[in-house]
Amino acid sequence: MIATLVASMVLTLLGRLYYVQLLDRHKPLQLAGSVYPGTIIVPAPRGAILDARGRPLVDNVFARVLTVDRQTLQALPDHGAAVLSKLAVLLGVDALTLAQEIQPCSPTVPAPCWTGQPYQPVPVAVDATTAAVLTVSEHREDFPGVAVATVTLPNYPGGSLAAQLLGYTGLVTAADLANDAALTDADTIGRSGLQQQYDAVLRGTDGTQLVSLDPQGEVVGPGPTVPAVPGDTLITSIDADVQRLAERSLVQQIQASRATGQLATAGAVVVMDPNSGRIIAAASYPTYDPQLFVGGISTADYAKLTAPAANDPLLSRAIAGQYAPGSTFKLITASSDVMHGEISLNGTYPCPGSLSIDGRVKTNYDRESFAYPLSLRDALGYSCDTFFYAPAAAEYYADQARVAAGRSPAEYLQRMAAAYGVGTAPGVDLPAGEQASGSFADRASRLARWTADKARYCADAAAGFPTVNPPTRRAYLTALAKENCTDGWRYRAGDNADMAIGQGETTMSPLQLAVAYSSLVNGGRIFAPTLGRAVVDGAGRVVRTITPAVRNTVPVSQQVRNYIASSLSFSRGWAVSGAFAYLNSPYRDLIGGKTGTAEVFGHGDTSWLATWGPVSTDARGAVRARFVVVGIVEQAGTGATAAGPMLKRIWDGLLGVGGPAVIPHSRPETTLPTLTGRSR
Amino acid sequence: MTLLARDPRAPFSLTPALSQLGRRTQRSDWVLTASALALALIGAVLVWAATRDLQRAAGGDPQFYLYRHLFNIAIAAVLMLAASRLDARLLRLFGPVVYLASLLGLVAVLAVGSSVNGARAWIRVGAGFELQPSEFMKLGLIVGTAVLFAHRAAARDDDRPPTTPDVLLALGLIGVPLALIMLQPDLGSAMVLAAAAFGVLVAARVRARWLIGLLLLGVVTAVLAVKTGLLAEYQLERFVTFTHPGRDTQGAAYNVTQAHIAIAHGGLFGTGLFRGPQTNGGFVPEQRTDFVFSVAGEEFGLAGGGVIIALFGVLCWRGLRIARKAGTAGRLVAAGIVCWFAVQAFQNIGMNLGLTPVTGLPLPFVSYGGSSMFAQALAIGLIQAVRRRTAAAER
Repeated sequence: MIATLVASMVLTLLGRLYYVQLLDRHKPLQLAGSVYPGTIIVPAPRGAILDARGRPLVDNVFARVLTVDRQTLQALPDHGAAVLSKLAVLLGVDALTLAQEIQPCSPTVPAPCWTGQPYQPVPVAVDATTAAVLTVSEHREDFPGVAVATVTLPNYPGGSLAAQLLGYTGLVTAADLANDAALTDADTIGRSGLQQQYDAVLRGTDGTQLVSLDPQGEVVGPGPTVPAVPGDTLITSIDADVQRLAERSLVQQIQASRATGQLATAGAVVVMDPNSGRIIAAASYPTYDPQLFVGGISTADYAKLTAPAANDPLLSRAIAGQYAPGSTFKLITASSDVMHGEISLNGTYPCPGSLSIDGRVKTNYDRESFAYPLSLRDALGYSCDTFFYAPAAAEYYADQARVAAGRSPAEYLQRMAAAYGVGTAPGVDLPAGEQASGSFADRASRLARWTADKARYCADAAAGFPTVNPPTRRAYLTALAKENCTDGWRYRAGDNADMAIGQGETTMSPLQLAVAYSSLVNGGRIFAPTLGRAVVDGAGRVVRTITPAVRNTVPVSQQVRNYIASSLSFSRGWAVSGAFAYLNSPYRDLIGGKTGTAEVFGHGDTSWLATWGPVSTDARGAVRARFVVVGIVEQAGTGATAAGPMLKRIWDGLLGVGGPAVIPHSRPETTLPTLTGRSR
Repeated sequence: MTLLARDPRAPFSLTPALSQLGRRTQRSDWVLTASALALALIGAVLVWAATRDLQRAAGGDPQFYLYRHLFNIAIAAVLMLAASRLDARLLRLFGPVVYLASLLGLVAVLAVGSSVNGARAWIRVGAGFELQPSEFMKLGLIVGTAVLFAHRAAARDDDRPPTTPDVLLALGLIGVPLALIMLQPDLGSAMVLAAAAFGVLVAARVRARWLIGLLLLGVVTAVLAVKTGLLAEYQLERFVTFTHPGRDTQGAAYNVTQAHIAIAHGGLFGTGLFRGPQTNGGFVPEQRTDFVFSVAGEEFGLAGGGVIIALFGVLCWRGLRIARKAGTAGRLVAAGIVCWFAVQAFQNIGMNLGLTPVTGLPLPFVSYGGSSMFAQALAIGLIQAVRRRTAAAER
């Protein structure tokens, strides 16, 4: 049986061989030539990011890259194992990981793997150390297939300067390639900040080097080259000097506050041009060095940056941070109260130490009280809370009456907050995830949240938080859940009072507050602020200008704006809280500001100060200012004690007190710097 | 072991050394050895032809693979000689050892093996050498099953075909390595392993209903494997390539198409050594190993290819002749080995000719590769040992 089988196999093969070689009339022919084309991507240098005066915030440096040619390694008797292990020691990495990284990706080869063409040398050490480069260059015989190439890499000459605004870059991943057909495996792409927002213009167009490949896929000769087109340059409105000053003052304040026993965990500063809507500086603490990400960040470094102890250094608290604005919100409350006739500019109203609203006692900060009624001017200056509670409560009850009568509530305070930009993304030219919208409560939002969450509230109320200790906290949470379960949809008078002083569910980012205060000194315009000013191509031509849009004008009369601004002018000295740090400044009469001391449940107070200056009056009699500067220090006490001195150092620099002004003529830069050819 | 009690020369015995060379060689089947050696030497020339130009282009030694192949042949010859000097009666003793040792190798490869072309089938042993345990498993399984049947038959002491427990035990022996090889996954080796085991079953005169049942089981398993996606993607791709050869000439079907072009180009007598443009241009990937037959097809034509096929025919003929005359264990070993060579050679040449799907199987003796060469040399040596034992018994 086996013999028959073997014999038939032999005959089958002989028959087939005879057919293939002699009988077949349609013999297959080699169609392709002996070589076929391949493409090697020549990555384009990324465009630079410049400050308002043309100084580089991000530029390019040449870096040496070690590459490994897989084909050369494969041809070695041990498939390059020895070379890879020597290289791994040199680079201080794991040989096995290195071997994985150079394998071309395929369905059977998962990450980490090489996303590029199999015939292209694989970069294994971006920005290799000089020692590694020298070792490889001097001992070529020990490192067959390993070569040194030069690439351009993003460089941050200011280190951590404006880190969160500029953002970091990363090497392209397989997921990026799948999302964007324009990307190639050689690209560096922006992962956050302006690097991400303007990635398309900064990235440039990669060049190509055509090569001839033999049937084994080895390069046998070069073909035509399409040179890479470097990315365009982004000119921003950031002034590097102001930015540096703001960051230094912020760090200085954090240290000073800590020295007085405050936690002072974080802080932020925004400097804006209120007349153009451009951001001149935005500092955030803690911060990080985006250079760490160039060429790929190490897992250890990334873990360090994202650890809870690091306190989110990648986040710009100036733009993405959301805080209860506290008394700084009284700009909005005062605007609403006056515009809706709830407070008269000529009247006086009580400022008791405490006030009972809806059965709950609400007090002034530190139970401060005045025996006599205050004007709005003094209520703003002394920052009386109870002064603003009464109209908020009255407005609330008027709205309840409207609702009871089947009409819509007016919610004047909420509408005014929305007009000032609260609750809407500020529209700054940064990725959507990196700008906070702020928030406030109203009847509709309360009801919507209750509808969505009531099942959970009621379940919690029924279960009674059995795992929570101690029992007092368990009882508190259970009571809270019960109340939310039955009454969570209610918007109460106390909620409205909380909002009037920027507490409760009211939050804003420092940038939003700067935009709101800008409207006070720019005729009421609410800008969508910007960081970018212009995109300039390699020849120095401006290919795109970026102008902040006016989103709306707040429904506030110029008379009221002038009144509020003059009420909060530091020229009034002790009558304005927060002014005391500036009492001896030569420019005291030229600036104004509003402090905020926001209470955060379970934490220290947030210290706020929103300032503007130097003030002037325009032809129509409207108050104007050249700069708006907003500062915040988390868990650092009152606005006057922490944010006050922090911003004073910035005003000193802007206005040239105690040294030359950090910004020419103490004015925001309004003309574009001229770039002659490439700035890199 | 019962064997120990019967055989005073246990546990191990080699026939004494060179003084008895004459007597020993008389009992060997010279035709068998010669055809294997001829295949190996033809292989050396083909491997050389397949690699010299590419080696030169890459700046390496053009004779690198020729020397390596000759070196492998030398080692293989020693192994064959050693195996042929074993006393075939001792098969029962070392059968289980060989089986278990190769099984351990298979487990090791799954644990520490390196991956080549999608399958985890190799163990790196240093200095650029790699071992492929599945090659030795073929031999181990044949010897293991043969010894099992012989042992059970001897214990039973009658001439009836193997009983159901015998067959079930044998299937157990076959199933374990088969499963391990499928895990690598190495479809080709699994097929050859199954074929060799089937050869042993046939030679052991297992009842026809078993054989037919197993064949049906094989077909059903294959169908299920394809339907349920048990096969790796690249394996399926090769099958699709086989059924639709024109579909993707730069992808999975590239190998087959290029080998076909090379062989078709050969004609009656071929282009002559070192003159095949397909071979010299390096168009056929894996040409020194799985597609070495395409070198013969292009450079030596129908004549060269026919000689190789004929040599395999002779090899199998001589092997079967020895099997027919041998005792139970010897017969099963020889038959199993013949089935192994026949199926593997058929499968390999078949895929070169576009007759069978592509599976990563080397052409016995001809393809470049140490592990397979060594295992096959041991197998030939074993057949010779069986023959010597038979001749000794006849005297």
